[in-house]
Amino acid sequence: MKKEKRFIGKLLVILVIIFFYLPIFYMIVFSFNDGKSLTGFTGFSLRWYKHMFEKGDMLEALYTTFSIALIATFVSTVVGTLSAIGLSKSKKLVRELMEQVDNLPMMNPEMVTAIGFMLLFITFGVEKGYMTMLLAHIAFCIPYVILSVMPKIRSLDPNLADAAMDLGATPWQALVKVIIPQITPGIVAGALIAFTMSVDDFIISYFVTGNGVKNLSIMVYTMSKRVNPSINAVSTVMILVITLVLIMINVMPLVIAKRQKKTGRKRKILVPAAITCTGIAGIAIFLMSGGVEKRRPFEGQTLYVYNWGEYTGENIVADFEEYTGAKVIMDFFDSNEQMYIKVANGEAYDILVPSDYMIQRLIAEGYLQKLDASKLDCMDKLTDAVKNLPYDPHNEYCVPYFWGNVGIVYDKNKVTLKDLEQEGYNIFLNEKYQGDVYLYDSERDSFMMALKALGYSMNTENKEELNQAYEWLVECVQTMKPEIVTDEIIDNMAQGRKALALMYSGDAAYVMVENEDMGFYLPESGTNLWSDAMVIPRNAKNPELAHAFINFASDYEGAYDNSSYVGYTSANQEVMEELSGEGGEFEGISAYIPRSDYELDEVFVYNEKIRKDISNLWSKVKIAASNAN
Amino acid sequence: MKKFSQMAIPYIVWAMMMLVLPMALVALYSITQPGNSIVSFSVTLDHYVRFFTDHDFLLILWRSLWIAVKTTVVCLLIGYPAAYYISRCRERLQNGLVLCITIPMWINMLVRTYAWIGLLSEGGLIQKLLGILGLGDRELLYTEGAVLLGMVYNFLPFMILQIHTALCKMDYSLLEASADLGADPVKTFQRITLPLSLPGVINGITLVFLPAVSSFFIPKLLGGGKYFLIGNVIENQFITVGEWNFGSAISMIMAVIMMLLMMCVHKVEMRNQGGRGKEKKI
Repeated sequence: MKKEKRFIGKLLVILVIIFFYLPIFYMIVFSFNDGKSLTGFTGFSLRWYKHMFEKGDMLEALYTTFSIALIATFVSTVVGTLSAIGLSKSKKLVRELMEQVDNLPMMNPEMVTAIGFMLLFITFGVEKGYMTMLLAHIAFCIPYVILSVMPKIRSLDPNLADAAMDLGATPWQALVKVIIPQITPGIVAGALIAFTMSVDDFIISYFVTGNGVKNLSIMVYTMSKRVNPSINAVSTVMILVITLVLIMINVMPLVIAKRQKKTGRKRKILVPAAITCTGIAGIAIFLMSGGVEKRRPFEGQTLYVYNWGEYTGENIVADFEEYTGAKVIMDFFDSNEQMYIKVANGEAYDILVPSDYMIQRLIAEGYLQKLDASKLDCMDKLTDAVKNLPYDPHNEYCVPYFWGNVGIVYDKNKVTLKDLEQEGYNIFLNEKYQGDVYLYDSERDSFMMALKALGYSMNTENKEELNQAYEWLVECVQTMKPEIVTDEIIDNMAQGRKALALMYSGDAAYVMVENEDMGFYLPESGTNLWSDAMVIPRNAKNPELAHAFINFASDYEGAYDNSSYVGYTSANQEVMEELSGEGGEFEGISAYIPRSDYELDEVFVYNEKIRKDISNLWSKVKIAASNAN
Repeated sequence: MKKFSQMAIPYIVWAMMMLVLPMALVALYSITQPGNSIVSFSVTLDHYVRFFTDHDFLLILWRSLWIAVKTTVVCLLIGYPAAYYISRCRERLQNGLVLCITIPMWINMLVRTYAWIGLLSEGGLIQKLLGILGLGDRELLYTEGAVLLGMVYNFLPFMILQIHTALCKMDYSLLEASADLGADPVKTFQRITLPLSLPGVINGITLVFLPAVSSFFIPKLLGGGKYFLIGNVIENQFITVGEWNFGSAISMIMAVIMMLLMMCVHKVEMRNQGGRGKEKKI
C-alpha cells in the first residue's frame, strides 16, 4: 500500500512539472515556427528572431525589464538590509508600526498598490516613465528584502555588535565585518525575491509607466491581441537569460567551495554574484547601444507616437529612423478613450492617431495644436472622401491615416447573403447562430450597430432610443452568447472560427485575403464611416519631427507599407487605387474600398453627455454578458 | 546602538512617502468627486453607494471571489500532496524538484499566460489531445475553465513552495512516535502532519487567493472580453472610462474585503496554535 501511495505521489509531481513546463516548451518550439500560426508547426525558421532584432522595441523591452530589475534589486537589497538592522534596534512601537507599513504592498491586492503609485505620481506631477517605474519597483521590493532579512537578525545575539565595538571596532566595522556576514543568507534570499518580483511584475509597471517605456510584460499585454510569434522569440530569449542566471547562482557556490578547498582562501559569495550581475547588465547595455552614428536631419532626436496596436507597416518606422536619424518610440492604445485619458493627464506625445469624434473632442478641449501647412506636403495626395470632414472642416488639425466602415464579416458556408440582406444587424439576434458570433469590444460601434438595427441615428441624443439600444445589446449578449473581443477577432475570423462578427472594414479586408470563405456585408440600415487621423498634441516636444513623420506616413511609400501590411484602407488616393486595382494585394476584396456615398451612413459626432451614458451602458452590457454565463 | 537605529530613519521617511501616502490617496480619491480642489473639498460616499446598490457590480465581485476560492481549492488539492511527496524525497532530489518548480516563477507571468493561448486555441495541442481521448471538440479558450486553468497555473507554485517549506521544518520522528503509539496513518496525518504544516497552508492560501481575486490579465487573455472580474472593472475605470474616483472606491472595497478575509485566516491560525498548546498541557 505504501508503495502505491508513493507511486501516486510520484505521478502527481511528474504531472505537475509537465503542467508547468508544457507552455514554456510550446513557446520555445513555436518561436522557431516558420508560419504565423500558434497551433500548427509548418517548418523551422529563424524569421521571428530576425523580426525581433530588426524591430528593436522588443529588445528595448527586454533591456528595460532587466535593467530595472537589477537596479531595483541592488537598491532595495542595500536599503532593505540597512533598514532591517536599524529597525531591529529601534523602539518597539516604531518597529511594530513599520512592520504594518511593510505589509501594505504584500497584503494589498497588487492592483490597489499599483493605483496608489499612479495617483501618487500624478498628484505630484512626476512625469511617468522609466524613473517612476524604477521608483515603484524599489518601493515594492524593499518590504520583501526586510521580510527575509529580519528573521536572521532576530536570531543573532543582540550583544554581538556591542561586543565587536568593545573590542575596538568602529560601528561601521561592526556592521560590515560582524553583522552582515552573519545575515548573508537572508540578504541573498531577499535579493532573489526582489529580483523575481521585479522581473515578473506587470500590474504595477502597467499603471506607472509612460512615455513609451515598456517592460516585457507590458509589451506582451499590448501585443497579445493579434498573433505575433515574435513574442515567442523574445520570451525564449528571456527564458534563456533567466535559466543562465539561475544556473550560475546554483553552480557558483559549488565552484567557489571547490576553489576555497584548493586555495584555502575565503571568498564571499556576494562578490561573484555582483560580478555576474554587472556582467549581464554590461552585455545588455552593449547590445542596446550598438550602431554607428551618421549625420541626418533629426539625428539623435526622439519622436513619441501614440498609435493603435498593429497599425503600422513592417518597415515604416525603421525607414523613417534611417531617413531622419531620429528614434521613434511608439506606444499603443486599444481605444480612443484609453488614449484620451493618458493625454488628458499630461502625457506628452508628438503624434496621436485618434478617430473622428475623438479628434473633435481633443480640438474642443484644446489638447491639439494647429498643423503648420507650410511644413506639410501631403494634403493633395489624399483621397477626397476623408478630407474636410465635419470634425475638422478645413483639416487644420489632422491628416487622415486610415479610413473605412464597420460591417458584418460572415462565413459564406454558414450564412447566406439573403438572410443578411433581410435581417441586417438583427442577424445578431438570430438564434440560429447562437454561440457562433463575435462582438467587437467597442462601446461606440456596438451602440452604432444597435441603434442602426433599430432604425435610429447613431448620433442620437434621445435617452429612450439609447435605452432601447442598450436592451437590444443585452438581449444579444444574453441569447446569443457572443464572444466580446478586440483584435483577437481578426485571427479568429481569418481561421473561420465563428460564423458572424462585427468588424472594421480594414480588418475584414485582411480576413478576406487570408480566408476565401469570408464575406463582408454592409447593412442597408447604414453604418459608421470612420477615419483615423494623425494629430499633434499641444504639449508635443518635437512638432518639427512630428510634421516630418506625418509627411512620411502619408507619402506613397509609407502609406503603401502601412496599408498593405495592416489591411486598412489608405487615405492616400494612389495607394488605395493601386492596392485594390489589378494585381494589387486587395484586388477583388470588397471590404477594402469603403462605402462613402450612402445617405444612411454617418460620421460619429462627439457629445460629452452621451459619451458617459454610452460608456456606462456598455460596461453594463459587458457585465451582463459575463453574468449570462 | 543609537547609531544603528538611525539607519532606519531614511527608510521610515521613504515608506511614508511611497507606501502610506499612495494608500491615503486612493482612500481620498474614493470619497471625493473629480475636479475637487483643496479649497472646495467635500466628502462623498456616492461611489460606494453606487457600487453596493448595483446588482451587476455585486455579482462581479461575488464571481471574482468565487473563482479565487475555486483556484485556491484546486491549488491546495494538487499542491498539498505534491509538496508532501517532495518533502519525503532524498535531499538532492528534493532540491532539484524545488528548483524545477521555482524556475517557471522566474519567467514572466504574462509570457507564461500568453503561451496558453496557443495551447488552448482551436486546433491547438490540448484540443487534439482531448480529441484522442474522445473528449474533443469543445471550446477551450475564452471560457471560465481557461481562466481557472490560467490562475492555477500561475499561482500553484506559491502553494507548493509554502507547504513544502512548512513540511520540511517538521520533525519526522514525530510521525514514528505517533505510529509507535498506535495511531493509524490517517490519524497521524490529522493530528500531527496537518497541524504542523498549517502555517504553510495558510501562507499558501494567502499567496494564491490574494492575487487571484484581483487578477485582470488572466481573465483578459484567456477569458476574452466577456469574462469580467473585479480587477477588469477597476482597470476599465482607470484606463478606459476615466472615472478614477469610482475606480478608487472599488479598489478600497476590494482592499478592505481582502484585509477582513486575511484577518479571519489569521484568527483561525492563532486559534489552532492556541488549541494545540492546550492539548499539550493535558
